[in-house]
Amino acid sequence: MELQKHITDATTEIFETMIMLNITAGDPVLEKINNFKCSVSGVIGLAGTCKGILAIHLPDKVAMSITGSFLGMEVTEVDDDVTDAIGELANMVAGNIKMILDEAGKNVTLSIPSCVYGDEYTLDTAADCERVVIPFNIESGQFLVELQVKN
Amino acid sequence: MENNLQQQIIDATQSVFDTMLMLTVTPGETLADKVYHFNDSISGMLGFSGDVQGMLTIHCPQAVAFDITGQLLGIEVESMDEDVKDTIGEMANMILGGIKDAFLERGIDISLAIPTVMAGRSYRVKTVDYASWITVPFHLDGGELLVELKLKTLD
Repeated sequence: MELQKHITDATTEIFETMIMLNITAGDPVLEKINNFKCSVSGVIGLAGTCKGILAIHLPDKVAMSITGSFLGMEVTEVDDDVTDAIGELANMVAGNIKMILDEAGKNVTLSIPSCVYGDEYTLDTAADCERVVIPFNIESGQFLVELQVKN
Repeated sequence: MENNLQQQIIDATQSVFDTMLMLTVTPGETLADKVYHFNDSISGMLGFSGDVQGMLTIHCPQAVAFDITGQLLGIEVESMDEDVKDTIGEMANMILGGIKDAFLERGIDISLAIPTVMAGRSYRVKTVDYASWITVPFHLDGGELLVELKLKTLD
């Protein structure tokens, strides 16, 4: 429950202040989603007293439209601009979550972001984790923000 | 520094293969070009932070990942199942654990995140431009795997 609120608060704030797009959070996704098609995933590790990962999964179309809004230009393919923007997006959302967790008495540090993309891939976490996935709707479609924290 | 990093990757990777898998791996020349694109492969990725921030990633063709998993678990592996994903994530964890120890001997303290495993028919993995990047290939009987270390800052 708490993780859900952290994700929603952090993601909404980044979109409002940095990307100037309105997003609407949906209900947490309960089923396991690990298979992505024609998508882009930004992934960043959380280390310190709270270990985990934050990942943002976007269909190509949504990744391109967010990058376009972020950079103020038209984006028509998943190029370096898109992978940089989505990596940076994961970094910013994780940065916000880090602040929330630090205030709650944890001491979290972030790794560098990576961006995974392709026609078809799976993405799994190999550890015993608490996992929350929140869908967000924007004009161009839907994307997922996933937070996994080791118990 | 780069030579040092290369040696640490080699030492940590060989040690994991020796002790956990009883397999000999031979390091090749550090790759001059970045490798982004993987087909029918699996990649285990693990972030770290502390005195330096970065990511360690290992990339294996499916067949190599099946061999490694089979060797570790003593079973026949024929599909990209949970056993393979867990094994490759754990390999990343153990190799970075070795590098963490080597860093600590030089006074650099890092803390590890949790491993993430990507697999698929066709995918690419990129990281931010400001990271330095070193990739060492390793040969074993069934093929070749890559161990890649990306760092944001170097002291």
